[in-house]
Amino acid sequence: MAVRKVIVESSAGLHARPAATFVQTAAKAPVDVTVAKPGGTPVSAKSILSILALDVRSGEVIVLNADGDGADQVLDELAAIVSVP
Amino acid sequence: MTTVLAPVAGHVVGLAGVPDPVFSGGLVGPGTAIDPARRAGEALAPIDGLILKLHPHAYVIAGEDGRAVLVHLGIDTVLLKGEGFRPLACEGARVRAGAPVVAWDPVAVASAGKSPICPVVALDARPGTLTTLLAAGPVRAGEELFRWGGGYD
Repeated sequence: MAVRKVIVESSAGLHARPAATFVQTAAKAPVDVTVAKPGGTPVSAKSILSILALDVRSGEVIVLNADGDGADQVLDELAAIVSVP
Repeated sequence: MTTVLAPVAGHVVGLAGVPDPVFSGGLVGPGTAIDPARRAGEALAPIDGLILKLHPHAYVIAGEDGRAVLVHLGIDTVLLKGEGFRPLACEGARVRAGAPVVAWDPVAVASAGKSPICPVVALDARPGTLTTLLAAGPVRAGEELFRWGGGYD
């Protein structure tokens, strides 16, 4: 089980553009990937609808979770996407 | 099967006409886009459903069958921080297709240096599930844009 807790630095939060890049990257991973706000219910990182509904604003913390082969790699890629201001 | 209506009047330009590669490349999802008529007006709900997210510059309506449609009022308009946009409904409210959701002014958006083009996107739609009803040309608000059959993820 791989976990990352990252601050979303994108100025627009995790909305249209960063959200699309985020979901496209997660969708390519061979494993399930979830994202949650701390203490919140995890949702699929592969669903643009789930990500837009999660409504992550700039400066908020998200928790990424994946399990299986390639889990660390995809979480590193996702963390890098949201770390771009 | 969901029929998606034009949220604004203008010209249908398709996603290829959106000056943002993330939308034009279909990365947000399949759909179309409208270059809005340059006059203040109301952006409408494209389908029946729940207002899942309502920002001044963008909203998501989720139908009872789970299909959800994003309407983005202009490109990079999040940076306008609500200036020129006035929500007419509340997040969590149920609306009928064609109901007004946000009052806005494409002229003000263009004057602020942003493109007022409005992508209308079927979220999480599987490839090949959209049927285009109006590919290009003039469109009235509330006119049928595309049908969404098949599935979504």
